Amino acid sequence: MTRQRNDILQGTLALLVLKTLSAQGRMHGYAITAHIQRASAELLRVEEGSLYPALHRMEQDGWVRAEWGVTEKNRQARFYALTAQGKKQLTAEQENWARLTEGVTRVLRYA
Amino acid sequence: MGIFRRFVNTLRSNRLASDLQREIEFHIAERADDLVAQGMSEREARREARRRFGNPSLQQERTRDVDLVTWLESVGADVRYSLRAMRASPGFAIIVIASLALGIGANTAIFSLIDAIVLKRLPVARPDELAQITYGDANGSVLTNPIWEQVRDRQDVFSNVFAYDNDVGFNLAAGGEIRIATGNAVSGDYFATLGVKPAAGRLITRTDDVRGCPPIALLGHGFWQSEYGGAPSVIGTAISLSGKPHTIVGVAEEGFFGVDVGRSVQVYVPLCLRPYLDARSTWFLWAIGRPKPGVTREMAAARLAALSPTVFRETVPEQWSASEREDYLKITLSAQPAATGLSWLRQDYQKALMVLMAVVALVLLIACANVANLLLARAAARQREMAIRLAIGAARRRLVRQLLTESVLLATLGAAVGVVFARWGTSVLMRVLSAGERNLALTLPLDARVLAFTTAVAIATAMLFGLAPAWRSARVDPQAALKSGGRGVAEGHSRFTIGKWLVVGQIALSLVLVIGAGLLLGSFRKLTTLDAGFRKDGVLLVGVSLRNAGYADSVRGGVRQNILERFRQLPGVHSASVSQLTPISGSAWNDFVEVEGYKPTSMEESLVYFNEVSDGFFTTMGTPLRAGRDFDRRDVPGGAKVAIINETMARRFFGSANPLGKPFHVLEHGKRRPPFEVVGVVKDAKYRRLREETVPTAYVAMQQNATSGPFANYELRVAADPRSMVPAVKATMAEVNRSISLQFTTFAEQVDASLTRDRLLATLSGFFGGLALLLAMVGLYGTLSYSVARRRNEIGIRIALGAERSHVVRLVLGEVGRLVVIGIVLGGVASLAATRWVTSFLYGLTASDPRTLTIATATLAFVALAAGAIPAVRAARVDPVGALREE
Repeated sequence: MTRQRNDILQGTLALLVLKTLSAQGRMHGYAITAHIQRASAELLRVEEGSLYPALHRMEQDGWVRAEWGVTEKNRQARFYALTAQGKKQLTAEQENWARLTEGVTRVLRYA
Repeated sequence: MGIFRRFVNTLRSNRLASDLQREIEFHIAERADDLVAQGMSEREARREARRRFGNPSLQQERTRDVDLVTWLESVGADVRYSLRAMRASPGFAIIVIASLALGIGANTAIFSLIDAIVLKRLPVARPDELAQITYGDANGSVLTNPIWEQVRDRQDVFSNVFAYDNDVGFNLAAGGEIRIATGNAVSGDYFATLGVKPAAGRLITRTDDVRGCPPIALLGHGFWQSEYGGAPSVIGTAISLSGKPHTIVGVAEEGFFGVDVGRSVQVYVPLCLRPYLDARSTWFLWAIGRPKPGVTREMAAARLAALSPTVFRETVPEQWSASEREDYLKITLSAQPAATGLSWLRQDYQKALMVLMAVVALVLLIACANVANLLLARAAARQREMAIRLAIGAARRRLVRQLLTESVLLATLGAAVGVVFARWGTSVLMRVLSAGERNLALTLPLDARVLAFTTAVAIATAMLFGLAPAWRSARVDPQAALKSGGRGVAEGHSRFTIGKWLVVGQIALSLVLVIGAGLLLGSFRKLTTLDAGFRKDGVLLVGVSLRNAGYADSVRGGVRQNILERFRQLPGVHSASVSQLTPISGSAWNDFVEVEGYKPTSMEESLVYFNEVSDGFFTTMGTPLRAGRDFDRRDVPGGAKVAIINETMARRFFGSANPLGKPFHVLEHGKRRPPFEVVGVVKDAKYRRLREETVPTAYVAMQQNATSGPFANYELRVAADPRSMVPAVKATMAEVNRSISLQFTTFAEQVDASLTRDRLLATLSGFFGGLALLLAMVGLYGTLSYSVARRRNEIGIRIALGAERSHVVRLVLGEVGRLVVIGIVLGGVASLAATRWVTSFLYGLTASDPRTLTIATATLAFVALAAGAIPAVRAARVDPVGALREE
């Protein structure tokens, strides 16, 4: 099955979430989805079903911290924030991504 | 994810799920808001938001990921699958669960008894520290009070030490039929040593136990509840114990029953209230101590041994002969563990219970073999299903797991039913036991220990019968199994071997059980039918105590005679007599005897058992007079002492000479007492136990002793049911004196009670032997039926080719024969080793009694043949055309 173009490559969702939280601070899940979509100029779309499992896993791994809060529309929502460990993870993931894209680019160019 | 996190996730899955649920709802609500903002209707927007999100419950599961839930769910699936399989063949499930329930239940029942009697520690503070002060052979280590006082005052190894007399029965009734309260007379530090607290009032302490102490009593908790309804106001009031008022000072802690397992003490009194405090040869005290911190039991034992010479030197019985004193001074005290308390019940039953435990374990093994065989047969039938599942990608491990799940489920259901069966079984056991042991107080709770045992047994059982079938199924070669069309090849040769070996094992084990049962039943039959020298039926025994009736010693003889005359006048009484002891009562009175011209090779040989009886005793008991006369009016107090002896005594002391008119002397501490003249010889009768070799016995005339003790036993031979005489006897005694205490039992009950252990062993081993036989028969029948079904084509061809039907029958029975012969040989060898265990329970036959062995083997062979006959006949009836067409 060909992957839909605007789906997020497996493994990069964590990077995007971490980057979003690092840039925007405390956010809830829906805002994270919206932000990634907006920031990528609608090129990337977060598969909504995989976002929450990913967030929970990141929480268990200690990259993010979660707590219940109230949105401006007065709705109960779970807010996520980056932890110190999450910041380190972000750096590592960014380096990985840079290596990966560089490698892929080189292959595409010269192979 | 780590295994730990899986656990955590599973445990908190509820919270996680609700968090996630709320979060997803929030997300969908936000999405819907946006969609509405883009111009969608609210309903459509919500539906679209949901659609975009996908399946929320799937998301939830993905979040929980590969945690235990998945595993548990697959186990759940296995359980559901197994339950469905059981529903599909309920007959199979019922047979399996019933046989496992019998096996596991029987094991649980016997274990709970062993746990209560042998294993459980006393419910006191730090029971493991307690040590019993013993000497010589540990079981009968009773001390005299002078020895106890020496030990108490001289020892320096125990932080606390106490002595107690457990043979104290208090009569609660003021007169008439007695009502006994189980009593203990305890030394001052009894409760302090054990760390028992009072439930009300105070305990007995060191200051209560001094010479000349006032009469006080402490109640056991159960007695306080049953007798006084747990009223705290009883403290300070008086309770009448055997006619004497005692002030109640308190109540012992709930759950504390004393130190003797199997008895529950109802009343405690200080030791200083007992008689014999200065008697140097009255042995009645048990002693237990708690060693000081840092003192081991070995150190305590060594110290007690070092103290022994002083202790015994200070307490030598003055009236003893020189050689007796010498033996006395050699006694060395020691210390042994007392964590589980002391128990006459344990002494009597420990070995019998172990034998029963082995018996029920064997029954369970046989049941396991049966179940394994049934499962194997079913696994063979399901070979094709397994092959298909393997072929379409099931892991072998998964299949094994599924089959083991089924086994565990069967074992669990069996254990659950078994626990119910065990409760019933223990209540039956307790009834049998308490018929023989008066004042038996034993609680058999279904507690964690017993349940843990049952669970362990169930799991072991499941592994035993489940592994072989599971292992076999996993070895299926899907190709071969599918190619063969589900018949023949898939079943292979090996299933045949396992199944047959299981049957051989069953036959062997059943033979062991049947032989064991045969030996025990044979012994019991001999014990109940032996010629005891008396007729136990139709005799009422009346125990009479004149102690609190206010008679002086000098008139007791007259009162006793008066009562006897009244009993003889009662309508329905054929004959009546009075005696000091009754046979098979457990009490004994013996002395060394000297006869001119008789040289014993050891002291033991000159030991004679005595009883003091009135005239008419032998008529009443049904013991024939062989020579001479019964006691009569000639035998008066102060006249020449006369005695009637039994045949054994006549033979031993007088040989072939006529003993009539000859004298014998009782030796007291080596000195001759005035002689008894033999005036009669009676037939041998059992004295203490039915199993004993008849002991030399001398009966002396009660009428020559005007001043004997306050207790006497009356025997009434009656026409009707002995118990029906009780009201008449009570009425008669009330005319004599209302303060006389009475105790009723029938002679038959007394004799039967002495056989309680034998009855227990015989009935249970008989029951389980029969059960083993039944299980083996089912196993054999199942295996053969299966084998015949498998060989239908072969048999069809044989018949088609002209084999006689009788030949086919022989073919199948030959198979039975082979299995049975191998089983019997193995079982025979095993029983040679196993029956040595029961030797001490046998009476009148040996462990290799040829008659029992022959009957047991023949029974087994016959039963096996009967089990094999049905499949054999079925094989002979095979229709060759039908069988071959099926192929």
